[in-house]
This record gives sequence, C-alpha cells and structure tokens, in this order.
Amino acid sequence: MTGLRAASLGVPFEPIPGLHGTDLPATADLRTVRDPWTGEEIYVVPALRPQWAILHVQEADAQGNARIFGSPGYDLLMARAADRIILTTERVVASEELARMPELTAISDLTVAAVVEVPGGARPGDCAGCYDVDEAGVRRYLEAVRSPETLDAYLGATR
Amino acid sequence: MTIGPAELVAVTLARLVRDGEVTCHGVNSVLASLALLLARRLHAPGARHVAIGGGLDATPATLPRSSSGPAWLAGSPVVLSNVDVYQLALRGRIDLMLFGCVQVDRHGRVNSTVIGAFDRPKVRLPGGGGAAVLFRVVRRIVVYRTRHDPRSLPETVDFVTATGNLERVVTPLAVFRATSEGLRLEGLMPGATEEEVRRRTGFAVVSTPDCRPVPPPTADELTALETLDPERLRDLDF
Repeated sequence: MTGLRAASLGVPFEPIPGLHGTDLPATADLRTVRDPWTGEEIYVVPALRPQWAILHVQEADAQGNARIFGSPGYDLLMARAADRIILTTERVVASEELARMPELTAISDLTVAAVVEVPGGARPGDCAGCYDVDEAGVRRYLEAVRSPETLDAYLGATR
Repeated sequence: MTIGPAELVAVTLARLVRDGEVTCHGVNSVLASLALLLARRLHAPGARHVAIGGGLDATPATLPRSSSGPAWLAGSPVVLSNVDVYQLALRGRIDLMLFGCVQVDRHGRVNSTVIGAFDRPKVRLPGGGGAAVLFRVVRRIVVYRTRHDPRSLPETVDFVTATGNLERVVTPLAVFRATSEGLRLEGLMPGATEEEVRRRTGFAVVSTPDCRPVPPPTADELTALETLDPERLRDLDF
C-alpha cells in the first residue's frame, strides 16, 4: 500500500511507522532514513509503479469513467499509481448517466486505456451489489491452478 | 449447547473488548469478527467496529462467512476502503485489534509468514497483511491461535512478522499476558490444567501472581453466540 501511495504522489519513496524488530525489512530491501527535523529513524518503502492496473468495476462509460459500489478496497490507490488502466465492468452505462451524479464517479477516463464489458468478471470472488463470493468456485479455481493443463481446461470452460 | 474451543476463544476475545473502543480485525478472521459482534451486543454496545470489508458498526443478520466481503456493509452508514482503514490505524485511531496467527513465541513475537527458512520455507503462510506496522500503531493487540501446541507456541518464532503492542494471547487452553519479561500465563480456560498448558507449550510457562481460571461462558454469551452464528462458522478454524 505504501509503495503504491508513493507512486500515486510521484515521489520515490514514502515513510511508514513500525516494522522495527521484525524480519520483514530484510526480505524486501526496506531501508531507513532519518527524519530531518527530529533525527528519528523511520522505514521507507520504494515507489511501486505498475505500468498497468486491471480493475473490475460495477459501472463504466465507454470512455472509462467508472463507479465503484461497495468497498473500493485498494482499487483507487492502484488506479492512481499505475501508468494506465484497463477497466472491466459489469455494465457499460451512458456518460450522461454518470454526469447526473458525477460525485459517484471514482475513476476518471484520463488514464484509462480500455473498457471491457465483462458481466461476472469478478467471479468466483464477490462484486458488491451484484454477487457474493462463490466458495465452490474458489475451490475449483484453486484446484485448477495446480498445473498449466488444468488451468487451460478451467479457462476454456469459463470462457 | 456444548461448550467447545470455538465458544471459549470467541467469548474470551469478546470480553477483552472495552465499551467505546475503536476495534478492528484482519481478513480471514471469523472468530475475531464474531467476538466483536458479540461484545457490541453484550457489554460493549458503544465499541466501534471497523470492518476490513468496508463497513462501520455493521449489523449483518448473522455472521458473514467472509471476514472481508460486502456482507460487512449491512447497516453501515459509510463505506471505508482498505486504505481508509489502514490510514485510520496509522494515525493511531484504532484502540484494539484482534489478530489470528500461526505462531507466537515466548517474547510475544508473531509469525504469519513462513515455517522454516524464508528462502526455503517448509510452509509458506498467508503473510502479515500489514501487521508489522499495525502492531506498533494500534494501542492494544490481542492475538489468538486456535491450537495450543509446542509448534504454535515455540521458544522462538521461525520468522518475526510482527512485534510491538501485544497485550494478550488467547488459545483454547489459556490466556497469556504480554509483560516486559515475555508472555505470562494469566488464565486457564475451563477444563484446562496448568500441567496440560505446560506440556503443550513450547517455552517454559511462568504464571502471573494473579493467574486464575477463566469463567466459563455465561448463558447470555452462549445465547448471543447462537443467534449471531447459527451456522457455527466459528468452528471453521479448528
């Protein structure tokens, strides 16, 4: 999260409290800097700047302005950190509909490269207001990813 | 209802919630989410429940199967993103976090990352989900483990995922309190003996001077559990 936030702000790293006393910094090459005012040491996380974010939303217009219902999770942070976005959406809606309540639009089309209408695109996960998590579906997916062959068969059947 | 380990852990976690506190828990934490619903229904109606699924003081009719899904928006006047929840914690505005883990050692250090060496793990675990930070910024951390055995409670964890403001550790057999000298046995769950706790703990068990039995779940607590969790999702982690 901290790395994405650094990227979203256009800075090379961002400080984060805590982490000292744990084995995590060594595994991710996290380093400390000194607070220039207090001299205290604090961990910093390097910017994590994805070229692409692929985000599934409930409603988007064809240009890529999108509404997210329910918790946006980390989606808005990813949208702001990535160079470009591919949106998959439950429904493509008219731009005029979004313009009626623009404050509900969470993602603007400025950095969206493509919009794909994919009803059920978050399955077997959940999509607020559309469907809940499909537990049996998650189990089938976990079985399928065990080998390339079973994954191919799964993707073929899901298509 | 028979009183099993799920009832003991859920009720004990709930009792640790204080009225008026801002509380939260991690993902995949059915027992923790049940404990918070239970506490708000019984002795801590003013405790605030920040759900990682986005809801604030959500009132799902019964316990949702997922600790982080959209069912946690039921009855909530607001939608919080995961980023909102973490930033609330970073600003020091979360008082209590209930946190499930795989290992916790004598020093109260928690492992949710790997069993074995990090580069060549025997088992790769889900990870801490920000615990390394949260344990330093959340005022009170209560850790629970659904098993009580020497591997879950070792002398030293294989990997330190998080350490910091740990207050208590709850298992089906015991409650430990974190002190400056490490974990101390503070309470024995109903049915457990001190001898059994010693035998099934991977470090030398030292009791607090006020160590005593944990009172068994009351009729009110059991009734509330049954109402909130008629499907017994609380048994999933055992």
